[in-house]
Amino acid sequence: MRLRIRKKYLFYALAFSAAIISAINSGLDAIVSNLYISDPWALGLSIFLVGIPVSLFFALLLSIKHKDKSIGERFIDPSFKRIRLIKKEELKYQIFAAFGNGIFTVGYFALFAIINDPSVILPFSQVVILYLVVIESVNDKDVPTLAELQSIIIVTFGAILGSMSLSGNINIESLIIVFLIINPGWVILTVYQRKLKWMKINNRYNDSINIRVWNVMFSFILTAIMIFIYDQFTRSNHLMVGFQESIDHFVWVAIISTGAFFAIILYIRALGIGKASIAQAIRSSTIIFSIPVSILIAHLGIIEQFPLDPNLLIIKIIGISIMVLGIISFALTLVKSYIFIKVRPGISIEKTMDELWKIRGVSRVCAVTGEYDIVLKIHTRTLVKGYEKIIKKLGDFKAIKEYKWQSVLKEWEDI
Amino acid sequence: MINAYILIDLKPGNSDKAISEMRKIPNIAKISVVAGDFDIVVRVHVKNLNNLLKVTDKIHMIKGVIKTTTQIIEKELSL
Repeated sequence: MRLRIRKKYLFYALAFSAAIISAINSGLDAIVSNLYISDPWALGLSIFLVGIPVSLFFALLLSIKHKDKSIGERFIDPSFKRIRLIKKEELKYQIFAAFGNGIFTVGYFALFAIINDPSVILPFSQVVILYLVVIESVNDKDVPTLAELQSIIIVTFGAILGSMSLSGNINIESLIIVFLIINPGWVILTVYQRKLKWMKINNRYNDSINIRVWNVMFSFILTAIMIFIYDQFTRSNHLMVGFQESIDHFVWVAIISTGAFFAIILYIRALGIGKASIAQAIRSSTIIFSIPVSILIAHLGIIEQFPLDPNLLIIKIIGISIMVLGIISFALTLVKSYIFIKVRPGISIEKTMDELWKIRGVSRVCAVTGEYDIVLKIHTRTLVKGYEKIIKKLGDFKAIKEYKWQSVLKEWEDI
Repeated sequence: MINAYILIDLKPGNSDKAISEMRKIPNIAKISVVAGDFDIVVRVHVKNLNNLLKVTDKIHMIKGVIKTTTQIIEKELSL
């Protein structure tokens, strides 16, 4: 069955699905770290070690062909064909992504060792959105618009309020781990996963499934090296404990790895559609889903029972509502347009394309046959920015004989 | 593979029905409703020119379509 939906909805669906799976997974993380593997280094290592066969298994399963397309291509990522070997050009980005993933994962489980309530841990880490906006602004050589700043601040304050523990406690040590270890690790992972997703492999965009499979393998290697070095300095034995725990609690760790596999491939796919900060903003909704998970595992006696203070619950709900509003206003301020260009005779279309490609906000340049010579696709935050950044620049191009700006009002994409 | 943009002019008042018809056509990768000289920009992804003709033909058959302009992509730079 073919499915054609608005790209915006696809983006939301992917990011929200990743958020729901992450929230469920955080509950499982709490169970495993509280009942089975209390050493965060060992748990981090075993997640990657067991994650390798799990990711390979699902990638092979998704490679199975159904009619003319593989299952993964049909249902998860249209760029996916089948599991494949890593390409040379991906290597550098995979190493950086794995480094970020290793830091993030060990930090995340270290946090679980201090606070074991997922509804507190997850919201704290959503402040990562601020880091992403700063990085995107530096990359785009552009300042965020007022609308972007407004939404980011709303989302961040919402996340902070939403991150309040249901028991009302705030732990300074955990805040340090979040801001100095978990968030930077996640930013590195996100930035390089996005770079990988936008790469072209065999004339099509890189797929989220192969990115994840290779990321798990590299994360295992880099995390094992980091733990080995740490063990040498501290005369500890986390590395061997990690290997042993992977065998002893294989089933539990495999369940977590399965959740992580699907949460991540959906998140990477979302990263291929929209900005990293917006994908992260939507993924922040994981806070909402983590509340029932926390209540459930506390009820089961896996984590400590906390008093459900109605005032704290109201503050948490207000925080989440503010966050959702921030996300919606953020998403609604994206303007897409086409520009159809006629190039003056005697001037190279290819050179003009290269020059147009340098303009910030231009996401696609196509040389075409027919009435026009070049079609540009534009993404800007506001129409004013489109005028300031693009229309004014087009006026400087002597090669352009005539152009037509067509603002996109609504869009559907084949998925 | 051939990628192309098809620029479509519609009769006023026919857009909703025409778009739902277009959404049923295979090989259409993207449908954008736009403000300006055209009404709709469609991105097509086909194996060969013969298939492109089939898509253009199907679009022509939709009630309300006045004119189509097909622009085949020769080279593309994208994020």
